[in-house]
Amino acid sequence: MTEPLLSVRDLTIDLPPGSDRPHAVENVSFDLHENEILCLVGESGSGKSLTAAAVMGLLPQPSVRPSGGELLFEGRDLLKLSEEEWRGLRGRRFGMIFQEPMTALNPVMRVSDQILEVLQAHGEAGGEDRVTELLQAVNLPDPERLRSAYPHHLSGGQRQRVMIAMALALRPTILIADEPTTALDVTTQAQILALIRQLQSERQMGVLFITHDFGVVAEIADRVAVMQHGRIVELGAKEQVLEAPTHDYTKRLIQAVPTLDPPERRPLDRALTVLSVKGLGKTYRTAGGLFRPRRVVTAAKNVTLSIRKGETLGLVGESGSGKTTVGRCVIRLIDSDAGRIDFHGVDLNAFRGRALRPYRKRVQMIFQDPYASLNPRHKVGDIIAAGPIAFGTAKPDAVKRAQELLSLVGLDPSVIDRYPHEFSGGQRQRIGIARALALQPELLIADEPVSALDVSVQAQVLDLLADIKRRLNLSMLFITHDLRVAAQVCDRVAVMYQGEIVEQGSTGELFRHPSHPYTRTLLDAIPGKHWRARRA
Amino acid sequence: MREFWQRYRRNKGAVVGLAVLAFIVLIAAAAPLVYPASPWEMAGAPFQRPFGEFPLGTDMLGRNILSGIVHGARVSLMVGIVSTFFAVTLGLALGALAGYFGGVIDDALMRFTEFFQTIPSFVFAIVLVAIFRPSIASIVAAIAVVSWPPVARLVRGEFLSLRRREFVQAAVVVGETHLRIILGQILPNALSPVIVMASLMIASAILLESALSFLGLGDPNMMSWGYMIGASRSVIRQAWWMSTFPGVAILITVLALNLVGEGLSDAMNPRLARKGRA
Repeated sequence: MTEPLLSVRDLTIDLPPGSDRPHAVENVSFDLHENEILCLVGESGSGKSLTAAAVMGLLPQPSVRPSGGELLFEGRDLLKLSEEEWRGLRGRRFGMIFQEPMTALNPVMRVSDQILEVLQAHGEAGGEDRVTELLQAVNLPDPERLRSAYPHHLSGGQRQRVMIAMALALRPTILIADEPTTALDVTTQAQILALIRQLQSERQMGVLFITHDFGVVAEIADRVAVMQHGRIVELGAKEQVLEAPTHDYTKRLIQAVPTLDPPERRPLDRALTVLSVKGLGKTYRTAGGLFRPRRVVTAAKNVTLSIRKGETLGLVGESGSGKTTVGRCVIRLIDSDAGRIDFHGVDLNAFRGRALRPYRKRVQMIFQDPYASLNPRHKVGDIIAAGPIAFGTAKPDAVKRAQELLSLVGLDPSVIDRYPHEFSGGQRQRIGIARALALQPELLIADEPVSALDVSVQAQVLDLLADIKRRLNLSMLFITHDLRVAAQVCDRVAVMYQGEIVEQGSTGELFRHPSHPYTRTLLDAIPGKHWRARRA
Repeated sequence: MREFWQRYRRNKGAVVGLAVLAFIVLIAAAAPLVYPASPWEMAGAPFQRPFGEFPLGTDMLGRNILSGIVHGARVSLMVGIVSTFFAVTLGLALGALAGYFGGVIDDALMRFTEFFQTIPSFVFAIVLVAIFRPSIASIVAAIAVVSWPPVARLVRGEFLSLRRREFVQAAVVVGETHLRIILGQILPNALSPVIVMASLMIASAILLESALSFLGLGDPNMMSWGYMIGASRSVIRQAWWMSTFPGVAILITVLALNLVGEGLSDAMNPRLARKGRA
């Protein structure tokens, strides 16, 4: 094997005193070779991003600093470089792409000028032509027109392409990509992954790719390093790690990735229809000002769906497809402009304010972000008991019920007096579920309930939801962008695209024989779908 | 609470400020014990220099200046605290309503707020006190009326952003009433910047009261620091101490309040504080 481009030897990074562990990264060693993609995979807090930051010399010093090991690049130890020497390396030898394409670009500077700046900062000649060339290289349409565009003119995927163009402007030998597709939709993600793959092989670069998603790993990696609690627990070729993992943690993680094969489900054709939405429409109008025209966005158009007793209907789509709008219209957090929402035959759209209260009890919601959905100033018990108390249950009874619910969702009832910040993301989501169940609803609206969670926690929360749903015979509207999750959870799936439901059917049927072209695109874009297909 | 004190203590200036403030409050509380006689009464010969018979000298009518400062502390603190209390209450109520309900209510309340903000606050306070005759009540009312708009704007901003949080939506979904959501869910989360602002507002209220008294618009029955400076300004070249010591009292009190406000801000936003100090 040739000499590695970059050699990380026993890297240890200290955390500030008082953190939950002394080292963010402990004795991490790996090599990055020319013309390969090495994926660092791990859950949140595993130290993968800090490892990448150390390689770029971007650690938030002095609170977090490397305390041992070396980073060998062309015979030099990067940890010993001065800030001056680093500047020469960054950009020229190392390129970096970040997670958030929305914030990584300067919003008041034209895109082409930002790329030009990278070239000029390193004293490169031939600016203007190089910019066009780079924009072409990242497959941006119409590079000439794009030169005068500002970041807000571009979509998320296009911005990420611009970021890649900037990272590659000086033909670096190493590209470090920190979760570059996490903020993107699946179809865009597939394109960006293909682009990184293509540029990498054209330029023979070594790519250090940080991700939490095994699907992405299967799609892009040559070699994989799995990190847990700051250590690399398994390192090897992709096939070996994905198909025959040896470490328990890797096995567990891979086990937790939901498969794309929907399990068989008993049909519910006979069951009572709980919710029936007909022709639902919602248009957002921003108020026009003196010098501003009104802006009109159609978020949902003629949406028709129904849910039977005990059934889970998945509402899948990419960001901006209107799936969240539909969920919020159904639970009447926002008013729809058109259509009926029949709940047991009563049109909820006919009610407003106080008149809705009897129905609030029967339809409940689980929110996406377990950090934002619990009031940080309220104790867990108060959060769960708030609903019953609002409906007139006496406080002692409500508290007792909250304790029962806590054990139902797998938490110790004694945590009732703690505050939300003392819990992990998964535990918080359990509290959110307990709150939704406190009013004994018949219909649950779950808005991306697991998308903010790590994959192993995600599996536990999904199991919990499935278990509770079965025990209480609940109906559920499950909103998600993740088709893997939808395949596992839903009896039927409705696919939304630009505010409309384009296809609806039983999960098995829809995944095996998608009829609408958009559904097919969506299914094709799932990262690592061939890997799962082989495994099953 | 203990954790809060730990964080507060990290800001040394704030601890000093708190100690000074506690001392001033103590003096104000103990004023009738230290100087049982009215500060308006003649205590000795006029124009006595400080550090003689009287620690801080006497004024042109022979009144004890230290006694005036000690009694003036009561007026200053009382005016500062009471007027801030009313200003914060009013600002909280209007800001909360505007931020929570939005739309027409927000527009109406904010235009109303802007109406008050367009008038220079000191001039407005003078007009109010002059119309309603100088008395302690009219001074407190005038200061409250000119100082609530910033509170309303701050609270409105907090409510606007908190209103969209998922935990508020969750409260709507479980059927809590608007009042419960405003008071129970949003207000506790919006309070920290308001508390910080209130501590700074007490300081500016004290300054406003002093300025009003300086112009002779103080309560004629209340000895206040501003009045002392105003009354002795004409003899400042012969008797510097008459206006200097009340001035120093104002300076120290306002400084202490500002230090405390900064400390509260640090303790309530620990992340911001650490960033600022790194």
